[in-house]
Amino acid sequence: MAFTMRAVKVPPNSASLEEARHRVFDFFKQACRSIPTVMEIYNLDDVVTPSQLRSTIAKEIRKNQNITNPKVIDMLLFKGMEELNNIVEHAKQRHHVIGQYVIGQEGLVQELGSKDQGSSDFLKKFYSSNYF
Amino acid sequence: MAAAALRPAILRRIRLSPSPPLALAAAASQPHALARWLARPMSSHDAHLTREEVVDRVLDVLKSHPKVDPSKVTPEAHFEKDLGLDSLDTVEVVMAIEEEFKLEIPDKEADKIDSLPLAIEYVANHPMAG
Repeated sequence: MAFTMRAVKVPPNSASLEEARHRVFDFFKQACRSIPTVMEIYNLDDVVTPSQLRSTIAKEIRKNQNITNPKVIDMLLFKGMEELNNIVEHAKQRHHVIGQYVIGQEGLVQELGSKDQGSSDFLKKFYSSNYF
Repeated sequence: MAAAALRPAILRRIRLSPSPPLALAAAASQPHALARWLARPMSSHDAHLTREEVVDRVLDVLKSHPKVDPSKVTPEAHFEKDLGLDSLDTVEVVMAIEEEFKLEIPDKEADKIDSLPLAIEYVANHPMAG
């Protein structure tokens, strides 16, 4: 938390969707430029390439591409910035980064495949993720 | 004063072609030797990228992008119109080019790069591209 308080300043709200859009690209660039540092900190050279990480960041951003409210985009950008700072400041461990950005959300739950057969729809969703 | 400051800057950009009479003259007189000394490469890797090399490497970067069909990549392609990339993909490609050539393209320039000719032009004209 202390890391974040120091590193992330809340910028004024974006006045328009266009400005928010621009900020997203700036954030993406910033994240891309910190990839070499991140690969070095977490020793990721043998598990992932910079271009894969770039695509993962783009995919994370694209998850929210349907959002048109600049305030929501600002909020998500803040969270993204926070996450990036945590990663760059080594506030995470190697397996956090690998689990989240190299293997990905789906990769971690794939093994569950056959165990939840016959269970209710709710349980299936519950097993795959608790975010629904 | 200003002329004195300008002189090395100008001399650094002048390349003398090493034809025999000129080389003799250069050996004979001091000013030419000074000019050659000023025009010497300032770093050990003086071999600037050739245009063909830049084109090849930029094309390779594009072809390795997961969303790009490698057969559509030509030196004249436009990122959005010909390759079907969106604005975020374009930024991603520009970032990949930055990484490939060890550059940092400022935002103003990066925003303008939306096609392969512009990207190749920028990298080929960049003195630090390596």
